[in-house]
Amino acid sequence: MSTTQTGSPYIVAQNVRKSFGNHEVLKGVSTVFRTGEVTVIIGASGSGKSTLLRAINRLEPHDSGSITIGGTEVTDDEATLLKQRSEVGMVFQQFNLFGHMSVLDNVTLAPRRIHKLPRAQANEKAMSLLKRVGMEAHAHKYPWQLSGGQQQRVAIARALAMEPKVMLFDEPTSALDPEMVQEVLDVMRQLAKAGMTMIVVTHEMGFAREVADRVMFFDQGCIAHDAPPAEFFSNPANDRIRAFIGRMSA
Amino acid sequence: MFLALWPAHWSRTQRSNATLIAALLLMVLVLSLLGQFLSYFPEPIGSNAELFAEGALTTLSLTLVSGAVGLLLGTGAALARTSRLAWLRWIASFYIWAIRGTPLLVQILFVYFALPVLVPGLNLPDFAAAVVALGLNAGAYNAEAIRAGLLAVPRGQTEAARALGLPKTRVFLDVVFPQAFKISLPPLVSNFVALLKDSSLAYAIGVVELTNVGNRIQSATFQPVQTLVTVAITYLILTTLVTQVTHAIEYRFDVEGRAK
Repeated sequence: MSTTQTGSPYIVAQNVRKSFGNHEVLKGVSTVFRTGEVTVIIGASGSGKSTLLRAINRLEPHDSGSITIGGTEVTDDEATLLKQRSEVGMVFQQFNLFGHMSVLDNVTLAPRRIHKLPRAQANEKAMSLLKRVGMEAHAHKYPWQLSGGQQQRVAIARALAMEPKVMLFDEPTSALDPEMVQEVLDVMRQLAKAGMTMIVVTHEMGFAREVADRVMFFDQGCIAHDAPPAEFFSNPANDRIRAFIGRMSA
Repeated sequence: MFLALWPAHWSRTQRSNATLIAALLLMVLVLSLLGQFLSYFPEPIGSNAELFAEGALTTLSLTLVSGAVGLLLGTGAALARTSRLAWLRWIASFYIWAIRGTPLLVQILFVYFALPVLVPGLNLPDFAAAVVALGLNAGAYNAEAIRAGLLAVPRGQTEAARALGLPKTRVFLDVVFPQAFKISLPPLVSNFVALLKDSSLAYAIGVVELTNVGNRIQSATFQPVQTLVTVAITYLILTTLVTQVTHAIEYRFDVEGRAK
């Protein structure tokens, strides 16, 4: 899966900076994410990796620098932003399923509201997505009736329902019990195989090694290293990365 | 109470609907038969049964209309209170502060007597004046209940909805408000029951509601015990029926099966 696909640049970040109060979490980050590419971002907590992800769909507006998605800059312009967000799927650490809606309604809400898809058609599409993540048997349950892993798989189906061009994963397995991590990773692996452009913030080194086209190491608000997984893991660029990999793989 | 009556295999929605319909039917039945029923009672109740029934009907309609006004005002004020615009927040805070800081009786008297002086030509009939005052009052208390609900919806819910590309109004209508409303329901129910009882203060401006009827009869017949007990029991019946309706609504929103 580490076959390097050379797609065209899709998301371009240039000198992105972001501070929370006096603490600068992104110190001028520049990078390019290409279509079809699976990027895994690793690094200590607080190093800015989640913030970059959240800046891409403007859940956390950056202070300076620029981010473009398919050539269009990410700004506060509502109409552009809505379009960009519907093309960028996001999966959260805490799943964030809508608790008052059934699994099916969680998945159909956005297509029905945004693409004005009739309910029957939206349901049909949602069922095929739920099938894809192995949750079709639970379509009429509510989120509280599901395990964490099941909720996260529904959250992935919900994001896919908008037919995004890229999927952002913000520590998708960090809130899960160990025995549920694999079921979520399996779904993500399958997505990557199907050619989805993915940016994944995670601590799962095995997943990075196996699925990623490139691994990016964040350190104190900067991209400290960016390399294909084979090179990244077999030949760590510096001691901090070596120590980090050691801790994570232990 | 009603909720437990239905077969166990019925779904939550079915049971909620059945309870709603049963409670509403019972309410109509009680109100229409109250006069008939009380007429079998000894003096001074029997001969004044019709008056009691009309008073109860006035009390209930006063509560329903001002309750609806209060719910709309409360939602509006809660939204204004959590708005990004400072002047909206300020207006809402002022409204809540002024209403909660003054007695309801003063507000009712103010709308009926002082408003026509301040705004010439605005002579509201007694029932309408009572609706305005009670609605404003309920709105202020409801605003805080709804605001608490809005603040209790986790940020992640809004973020997830926004990340899907839903516009702000849809995020609010589809994701935030339904969850906030569910959280706000118990305090809203308390406010509504309080409103039903507080509507008795409309007596001060001459609205012929239940308390007014009772007081007139007791002063005319010098039999305060019988009349006031009848008034109190009628209120109890009304509040009990209202709580059944609101329980059914609460139950319908309870997708997590936490309400018992």
